Amino acid sequence: MRWVDWYSDGSLHVLDVALACCSLEFDAAARGAALVAEPSPDARTAVVVSGTVTDRLAPAVAAVVDGLRARQEVAPVVVAYGVCACTGGPYWDSYAVTKGVDTLVPVDVYVPGCPPTPAALREVLDTVADRGGVA
Amino acid sequence: MSGAPDEAQQPVHGRIRLIEPACTSCMLCVRECPVWCISLDSHTEPDPDVPTGARPRMVNVLDRFEIDWGTCMYCGICVEECPFDALEWDTAHPAAADGSADLHHGIAELA
Repeated sequence: MRWVDWYSDGSLHVLDVALACCSLEFDAAARGAALVAEPSPDARTAVVVSGTVTDRLAPAVAAVVDGLRARQEVAPVVVAYGVCACTGGPYWDSYAVTKGVDTLVPVDVYVPGCPPTPAALREVLDTVADRGGVA
Repeated sequence: MSGAPDEAQQPVHGRIRLIEPACTSCMLCVRECPVWCISLDSHTEPDPDVPTGARPRMVNVLDRFEIDWGTCMYCGICVEECPFDALEWDTAHPAAADGSADLHHGIAELA
């Protein structure tokens, strides 16, 4: 888990909850953006859950998102990045995998793909930051 | 031109298209999909194209075909398995959605 200053200007802080291989796509999308400390409560934030959420880890993921939601003045935009975060993906029938992060916390944007493209995440975050993007 | 490879030669790994008229509702894609992200409904009707005097026969008619992009892992097995070439790769990727139900695409969206 780490914070990224997405545009390197403090306008959007993105929390990368990297749980599986989709985190590599997150890295590709971030293009080496700076890792930063936890932002102040008045910062614009997004949480990107990238990867498979296991039932064992689910309470920790929910606590991270709920904690951020309680702390930030502007509610963070929660992004389910990749099919594992959307629905459980290829592991939807597994006894140990959470069937989508939206069973834990409200999700604002679902990005499909296994893997999703880095461009898709950039478009979504451009929209969040109101920088154009998704047509 | 630049040194970029010809777009037509690059591997295409976007969304999957349904060519509805070619689909016979045979269910092979539904059953071969490793993640069970395809579902379809169909019914049978008498085939209008039988020669005069031939025994009547029934054909499948596709009512509903759905791919859940929230589960699809883009393996392409459905494309490979379809005996009637009713599924094919497309360069575009399914767009992000505000709800997981919006990632269920039917016949119209898959065209």
